[in-house]
Amino acid sequence: MDVLIQLVLNGILLGSMYAIISVGLTLIFGIVRVVNFAHGEFLMVGMYAAYLLAAKFGLHPYASAIPVVLLLFALGALVQRFLIQPLLSADEHIQIFATVGLSTALVNLALLLFGADLYSVPPSAAQGSVQVAGFTLVKGQIVMFVCALALVAGLHLFMQSTALGRAIRATAQNRNAALLMGVKVDKIYVIAFGMGAACVGLASALVMPLYPVTPTIGTYFVLTAFVVVVLGGMRSMYGAFFGAMIIGLVDSLSGYYIAPDLKEVVYFALFLLILIFKPTGLFGLGRGTE
Amino acid sequence: MKSFARAALAAALLVAASPFAGPAAAQGTIKFGALYPFSGGLALLGDESFRGFELAVEERNAAGGIDGKKIEYIKGDAVDPNQAVGEARRLTSVDKVSAIFGTYSSSLSLAATQVTELAGVPYFELGAVSDPITERGFKYVFRTNATARDFAVRMVDSVIEAIAPALGVKPADLKVGIIHEDSLYGQTVSGYQKTRAKEKGLNVVEVLPYSAKSVDLTPVILRLKSAGVDVVLQTSYQNDTVLFFRQMKDQGYKPKAVMGAGGGYSTRDTMMAVGAENMEGALDVDFTQYNTNPKATPGLTEFVGKYKAKYGIDPRSGHSLANYMGAKVFFDAIAAAKSTDADKVRAAVMKVDIPVGETATGWGAKFSEQGQNTRAQPFLMQWQGGNLVTVFPEAAAVAKMKVGVGAN
Repeated sequence: MDVLIQLVLNGILLGSMYAIISVGLTLIFGIVRVVNFAHGEFLMVGMYAAYLLAAKFGLHPYASAIPVVLLLFALGALVQRFLIQPLLSADEHIQIFATVGLSTALVNLALLLFGADLYSVPPSAAQGSVQVAGFTLVKGQIVMFVCALALVAGLHLFMQSTALGRAIRATAQNRNAALLMGVKVDKIYVIAFGMGAACVGLASALVMPLYPVTPTIGTYFVLTAFVVVVLGGMRSMYGAFFGAMIIGLVDSLSGYYIAPDLKEVVYFALFLLILIFKPTGLFGLGRGTE
Repeated sequence: MKSFARAALAAALLVAASPFAGPAAAQGTIKFGALYPFSGGLALLGDESFRGFELAVEERNAAGGIDGKKIEYIKGDAVDPNQAVGEARRLTSVDKVSAIFGTYSSSLSLAATQVTELAGVPYFELGAVSDPITERGFKYVFRTNATARDFAVRMVDSVIEAIAPALGVKPADLKVGIIHEDSLYGQTVSGYQKTRAKEKGLNVVEVLPYSAKSVDLTPVILRLKSAGVDVVLQTSYQNDTVLFFRQMKDQGYKPKAVMGAGGGYSTRDTMMAVGAENMEGALDVDFTQYNTNPKATPGLTEFVGKYKAKYGIDPRSGHSLANYMGAKVFFDAIAAAKSTDADKVRAAVMKVDIPVGETATGWGAKFSEQGQNTRAQPFLMQWQGGNLVTVFPEAAAVAKMKVGVGAN
């Protein structure tokens, strides 16, 4: 029983890490309607940035969250403005190729600059764990859980109660109608892509104390993030959050009760079942919105 | 600079054209290929391996070369198996080298040796560990270094010969857990471990494969903890090693010993990422490293001196040493053959007979019919105070083995 509770706790905390990464991907997909295959590489860029800030200026990764978020916002906005925007009217496949190409380019750039070695920030309090009623909780993961909740709540407020948020929602619902209502759609896309990337920036600052960074670190997280996004209904931020929790739990429980190397099998099987029986995802808005 | 280069070129041409050129030039040179990954993701350790070969060549040439002939080598850049094949073809057919030395990575070696075997050119493997390289019945492929099976056997035997005595218990009373990443590398080594553990009657209570790209190993750790595993044998890459040690600490799991093998455990980066105090006591089976008793490894200190003089830094890993040792063994064999004819070289390699403890790596050299060195043995090392020191076998040890993992 103790082990079960420990696994559930671990699963929820792991889920919150997936949540922060997936929310960004959902924003980009839901609003700009682009599948960003370079999402994992954005995480890698953010982690190297956090590492450099720690190594050169002695900044704690949590303190580096602010500059890293700004940097990633800029990166996302630039990618949208100069890579995706010229292709917006082109075939969807072309956009996919563009982001896949960007991902390959970023990985190789990192190989060139940093080599294949791994880098990590100096050990800090975030790596330790606390005992709560006999269960072990990793401090860095608790921080992630709190941040994930705050991020979703903050985005909710932003989307519901600011003019820009309403414009973003309008653009997501119907691009042409929004355009007719005087919304500068191209600008909204740039902002939305930037925000999606900024979420990854936050994720990288939070992940950095727990995982060392290598050029291919993005691939460790991004496949799961895609599953989460589809599971959550592709465009729903809350769906992404709960989808991430489900994947976290499945990951943790099946890794223990079935086998550690079969946990991917379990959640991909779950993924297929959901695609078959509820193709719009658990929190999707119904047919035609996917 | 340019004019100097021109002058140097002119001088070189004059000397070459001169009928009074030295006797060495008159007797010609002997041409080898050096096939390593010099670019791409494997380049760091590929280059480190090549440095060992390069130092062996320089040393040999300074001593008069092979049979009075200077060694000349042509580099081949094997980034991936396809390119390894292409470069092996070029070296054997265009450059017409007498033999190829390489390769660091097993997949590159497996591909390149197919080409050289068909061309009837000897291939000297100095660093790749995959067993099948010397299990395919090839006539002209020879290997000096230890294989994956040797690593697995050393790991299992260390439980019996080193860990159990240190804990003062019977080997069969220890609960052993085998964990490994689930690609070909992890599958192969853990397969050999299971077989050996069964032969030796060890009590293996958990065998847990996991994906090397996993971001959470707590389920693995909780399984080991619930099963009360005393000794963990891990076959891993770098990221998963770091993750395992970090999460082991987070979950408060303290086995009596944790043992790994190869790059994931030996590199300084891993130790730095895990933290010296958390890595304390971790055991590691690998090629000979530099904190080894010089009495068991004659030539090791000299090698480090030459390396530092040429490259200005300490050796970055044990790969250069293994390549240096292997190249020297084969240079001697080719000299003994007094010919570069592949069959004569094979006959000479088969006659090599160096006892254990007489080379810079501490290995001996005696080759099986398949071309595999039967006297190569990986050593058991341990992280102590942020340094990797050899602890077993006793002749090569520089420190006493400690039990327990982590300072806490």
